[in-house]
Amino acid sequence: MLTHFSAAVLFAFFASVVFGITQRSQPRKMFHFGAYCFVLFVGGVIAASWLMWAIKH
Amino acid sequence: MATAQQAPAKPMAQRIPGEKSYLPALVLVAGWLIPGSGHLLLGKWVRALLLFGSVLGMYLIGLGLLGKVYTPNLSDILATLGFLGQLGMGLLYFIARWFGLGATSMVNTLSDYGTKFLIVAGLLNIISAVDAHSLANGRKAS
Repeated sequence: MLTHFSAAVLFAFFASVVFGITQRSQPRKMFHFGAYCFVLFVGGVIAASWLMWAIKH
Repeated sequence: MATAQQAPAKPMAQRIPGEKSYLPALVLVAGWLIPGSGHLLLGKWVRALLLFGSVLGMYLIGLGLLGKVYTPNLSDILATLGFLGQLGMGLLYFIARWFGLGATSMVNTLSDYGTKFLIVAGLLNIISAVDAHSLANGRKAS
């Protein structure tokens, strides 16, 4: 069973793969852009989670 | 002193933008119907596999989380937008409709997540199909 976080990580992974392939032309740049998107996705999830925690407390 | 001139470099085999061909339209429709098939038609099978795996993965997770599969409903703008997004999955959407996969309404939070997975799978597939179209008509280099 997926948790909210694991669902968000899978979402970030699949979306980053498609973004990397479609938004860059060379394989090396595709990999870098995909990794960049993944870090932003997951980092955004973690940052938003801590923000919601801070608002609640 | 060398007088022999070098032969001009042979131009790379590349499509000329604006050139009439059915290939761009073909890969656009194929890429929409079956994720990654547009890239496969262009010989880019690694990209095709990765795109197919990504869209299929999001589709299966969406169905596994009991995401809602939208039907056309012009009276509800959000339902219409959800339907258009999911329609981007091509044949995967019709398979879900024909076999009654997914849910008809969102029952819990994870079901809401599943619905978003299904919509985004469709949107990512549209991006993939447009990318294949750009490769076929020469707008994207490689």
